Order: sequence, then structure tokens, then C-alpha cells
Amino acid sequence: MLFLEQPPRFLFFTGKGGVGKTSIACATAIQLADEGRRVLLVSTDPASNVGQVFGVTIGNQITALTAVERLFALEIDPQAAAQVYRERIVGPVRGLLPETVVNSIEEQLSGACTTEIAAFDEFTSLLTDTALHADYDHIIFDTAPTGHTIRLLQLPGAWSSFIEKGKGDASCLGPLAGLAKQRAQYKTAVDALADPSRTRLILVSRAQNATLQEVARTYQELAAIGISQHFLVINGLFPQSETQEDALAEAIFSREQAALSAMPALLKTLPCDHLQLKPFNLVGLEALRQLLTANVQQLIVERNTSVTINAPKLSALVDEIAADSHGLIMFMGKGGVGKTTLAAAVAVELAHRGLPTHLTTTDPAAHLTKTLTGTVENLVVSRIDPEVETERYREQVLETKGAQLDAEGLALLEEDLRSPCTEEIAVFQAFSRIIREADKKFVVIDTAPTGHTLLLLDATGAYHREVSRQAGSTGLHDVTPMMQLQDQKQTKVLIVTLAETTPVLEAVNLQEDLRRASIEPWGWIINNSVAAAVSQSSLLMERAKNELKEIDDVAHRYAHRYALVPVLNNEPVGETLLRTLIYPFSPA
Amino acid sequence: MKKIEVFDPALCCSTGVCGVDADQALISFAADVEWARQQGFLIERFNLAQQPMAFAENQIVKAYLEFAGQDGLPLLLLDGDIVLAGQYPSRAELAHWLDITLPDTTAKPAKSCCSGSTCC
Repeated sequence: MLFLEQPPRFLFFTGKGGVGKTSIACATAIQLADEGRRVLLVSTDPASNVGQVFGVTIGNQITALTAVERLFALEIDPQAAAQVYRERIVGPVRGLLPETVVNSIEEQLSGACTTEIAAFDEFTSLLTDTALHADYDHIIFDTAPTGHTIRLLQLPGAWSSFIEKGKGDASCLGPLAGLAKQRAQYKTAVDALADPSRTRLILVSRAQNATLQEVARTYQELAAIGISQHFLVINGLFPQSETQEDALAEAIFSREQAALSAMPALLKTLPCDHLQLKPFNLVGLEALRQLLTANVQQLIVERNTSVTINAPKLSALVDEIAADSHGLIMFMGKGGVGKTTLAAAVAVELAHRGLPTHLTTTDPAAHLTKTLTGTVENLVVSRIDPEVETERYREQVLETKGAQLDAEGLALLEEDLRSPCTEEIAVFQAFSRIIREADKKFVVIDTAPTGHTLLLLDATGAYHREVSRQAGSTGLHDVTPMMQLQDQKQTKVLIVTLAETTPVLEAVNLQEDLRRASIEPWGWIINNSVAAAVSQSSLLMERAKNELKEIDDVAHRYAHRYALVPVLNNEPVGETLLRTLIYPFSPA
Repeated sequence: MKKIEVFDPALCCSTGVCGVDADQALISFAADVEWARQQGFLIERFNLAQQPMAFAENQIVKAYLEFAGQDGLPLLLLDGDIVLAGQYPSRAELAHWLDITLPDTTAKPAKSCCSGSTCC
């Protein structure tokens, strides 16, 4: 493994949820400890099984893992860290200020920024504590701060107005005001991150186009602020030896190989390691030791087992949706779970049943939807480009609002405008023009704002004003936009996920977030399921078995109703293939 | 010396970019505060989301919040008395309270803040 050669003190694994960061971080820690180094493993993964793997309860204190000599671990729960921070601010005024005011303050401090800054605060001590460095040769983190967080910490404007005076103008950095450390300490931490002799960043990806592009963006963002020593790990590659003339296995193999050759040029220059898909979940010490080394073929114990599952199909959900004859259907989920594909499939099916439908997507390449335009009766397709919308919003704000700011203030405004919230707001603003059509026909959207954003927009009245303005005098007199989203008769939110631990957990978090805004997700869709597909491949069947627990959890613990959608041999482009997602095994 | 205290609503960004319509008044006010501070005047700002204790400890502010809710913010106190509520002042108003003489060239008309979504 290239990323394990002459490792510096700090190793950070970064990548989106479900690519295997925590497993690889664990495996790396075990390997380095086995080689004789003293290693501290820091996990922030809420699905982390680090404690389970080593048979100890770890928690928020450094714990020796007796199963592996010289290995120590620490679990940081960013949500809990954020909660502690929130409580520090909100606790003292509970009962003193009106309840609505207290709730609103809590919501302000419940965004992704707060969680991320709280996590960075925890990292800071680990990066700067020299006494700790004497104890450990390596400190391994299963996540990394984003470029946005680091840039904020580097802006002098942010510090002068905020931290040092302990008050002042809020920004995305706001949460730091409640945290204990001093500017010098954060600077030392950022310096350590940017020093290749001390820090190595390992980008973890799967061999999927969207995931690789996201990794390239992360790389660019971090390189731009001086963190440039990156390694790439492609995890979960389907091995050629296991294709065994099985159509699905062959299709997955060639799709991954095609994604690898189409990898962004930027990533091709990086030292890169490939890890094969394993037939087992990476739980347990032995499994983790095999992650970086073993050959897959020897790991498959049972050949030719089969998995059958009887789960609801997407057609059942569409039947229920179609019964209402109009409404807003929103797909929500993390990047790469297939929201656009599923939105297109549902829209095509509704149109096919003679129901006027408007599909609007954020599909960046538009390759999926362009084949539909003008070819499917009853279907209108439109597209919103998140980059264009965000840029337009940014420019509008900078031009009109940034004109009177000094250089430092402007830099801070620009950075605030690079926050994830900004894109979400800009895109949702663009969508709100289309949403009002939903009282006459179906409007299907492949994205949805988080509950946090909706609550903030609603609290400031900004969302209401915006939609009212755009709706003009055509209605919505007695129903606020937020009420429209909260009413399942008018709006159905579908949560899209994959049958894997981390993606399901992320989906649960999205659901909780929507519930804070009193929006109850109408149903769940588990996409790309191997268990729902037809295959003879032993490796795929082993994976299918691992999906069953996740599917069961969604069915019985999380979703009011759900559908299971099989992984397909081909990308579903065009009307006919899209409809095979609705009616699997019985193509129209 | 006169002192102005500003009690801001809970916005996660002072620039208000989190709102669909970034509030021009808020952004201009941030610049005006800096301008007044550079002339040596004392202007303190408290953000509801960051320093709620400051709101709870000041009897005037606390009573106002109970009456008007957070929609009634911002609230501005001049030497402890309310001078403006529900909107941000212009630079001219700030100058007036602090007895700063504004040169005509830099004076700006005391227009009301824009609460609509398309103005400014």
C-alpha cells in the first residue's frame, strides 16, 4: 500500500459516507501497531464499530486496546460535542428568555457548520498537544475537516471580529465563539495540517463517476489552501476473478473499470492504491487485518448460495402517489445514492399513467434526463444547475451587499457564501418557482432542503416572502409554504439510501432533521440493492446477505413505507429502462 | 462617552446570507459600526444565538423580548435606553446619537431598511 509507506505522524482519511473510511483507518492503525509503532486511532464515525471490534467500550477518552499491542483509540461524537456546545450557550437562559426564543437559538446552533466546527475543536488538541505526541508515533483520524472550515480559520477577518473580542458579527465560524481555545492554538492546528512532513491526507473513494468527481473537488479545495500531499485509495473494487460469466457481476466490473479510466485527470497524478471488494462486512479484528492484504477468492467460504427477499417494489409506492393525481414529490438523500435516477423513474411512470408531470432535476450532466425531453407524453423536464444557481446567488449577494465592506469583511462574506447552506438555499430558491405548479399536476424534484435550512428560512420569514412574491396573487393565501411542505397530501418526501450501514445512518439523520421541521418523510427507497437483483456470483450473494439487516431496519424501524430497487446491469437511460426500476424483472 | 448596545436577532451569518434575501440593512450596518468604532466610539453587539445571556441579564431587553419576541429584534440601546427597535439605523442616525458631525459628502439619506425581498 503506497499510502502506508513512510507515514507521517498524522493520517487523515476523507471521503463521503459509506466509502469505507473508518474500516481503512482501523486496518491502517492495526497494521502500523503490528509493525511496532505506538498508534492512536481517532474515530468520529457514529456508525463506528471500533469499540465493538476490539471488545471494549471506548468513548471520549483514550483507551488502550488490549487486543492489539501499542494500539489506543478515542471516539469523538461530533453530534455530542455540538450538543455540549449548544448547551453551554442555551442552558443558562432556559427559563429566563421566552421558550420560542430559546428554541430558535437552539436551531441556529443545530446546523452542519456547528457539528463540523465542534469536531475540529476536538481535533485541535490532538494536533497541538506535544505531550501527546511524545506518546504516539501516529495519530490516525477517520475523517478530515473540510476546506470551508479550514479557510474560515485562516481568515484574519473572522478572528478579529469574532474570537478575540469574544463577540461581534456572526458567520459560519460563529460556533467557535462558544468554544474554549485561542486563535494561536487553531493556527498551530491548521499549520500542522498543511505540513506534509507531519500530515498525510488519504482520499477514499469508490470506483463511481460521481464519487470520484466529489473526491476531485475535495482535493482541489484542500490543495488550494496548501494541503497538497494527498494519496488516493479506491475501495471496494469488484475483482475480475469473480465475474464468473455472471451478467450483473460483469456489468459491475466493467462499470467500475470505465469509471477508473474516466477518473478526473487531477486524481490520476496521485499515488493510488486499489482495495478489492470483500465478501464480508468489516467487523472484527481478523476481517480488518485482511482488508489491506487478503485475496478475495480465498475469503469466500460458501459458494453458490442464493438470497431471496420479498420486499415492496417501487411500483407500489407509485400506485399510492398516483392516487392523489397531483402534488410535490421530493427525493432526499446524500450524494451518489441515485436520487436523480429514481426521481426520473417515478416521473416517467406517473406520466406514463396519463398524469401530467413536471420533472425538475439538478443532474449536472443532464445525460439521464435529456433523452426524456419531448419524447414522453405528459412529461415536462427542466433542469437546475446547482453551480450556476449558486454562482448567481453569490454574485447577487456580493454585488449588492458586499459593496460597502472592507477587504476583511468582504473575505468573510465570500467564505460564508461558500458554505454548503448557500448552495442548498440557492437551489431551493430556484426550485420554489416550480413548486407552485404542484396544485395542478405532479412536480417531481430530485433534491430537498434539509429541515435545518427550512427552519432557518421559515424563522426569518424569508422563505414565505420569497414564495409569496413568486406566487404573486395566484393563491397560497391561507397556506404558508412551510405548511405546504408539512402536509403529506400536498408534499411527499422520499428518503433515498443504500442497504449499507453508514448510508442508512445518514438517512436516519436526514429524517430526524426533517422531523425537527415537522416534516414527516412519506417513504424510503433503498436503491442499488444486490439482494433485490438476480445474480449467480458468490461474491455478490455474500454482499446481498449483508444487506438484509439494513433492509430489515429500514422496513421495521425507520420507514412508514419503503421500496427496494435492484442494482441494474445498465445505467437506466431512457423511458423503457427507467421503468424497469418501477417494475423490476418485468420490463415493460 | 456615549455607548450604543445592539441586540441582534439569531442569524447564523451576520451577513444574513442564510436568508433567501440577504438583508442589505444588516450588511450596511456592519460597515457603519466599524466606521463608528474607528472613530473611537463604543458600540457593542450581541448576537442572540451566541450571547443569549446578555439578553437575559438586561431587564429592558428581556422585557422587550417577552413582549415582541425575536421577530422584534434588533433592539438598540443608547446609554441604556431604547432608541430603535425592529430595524437597523442608518449611518446618519448613528452619527446623530453619537454627536458625530457628518461631512455632507459622506452623509447618507436616512432611508428605512428594506424588508421587501427585491428592493435595494
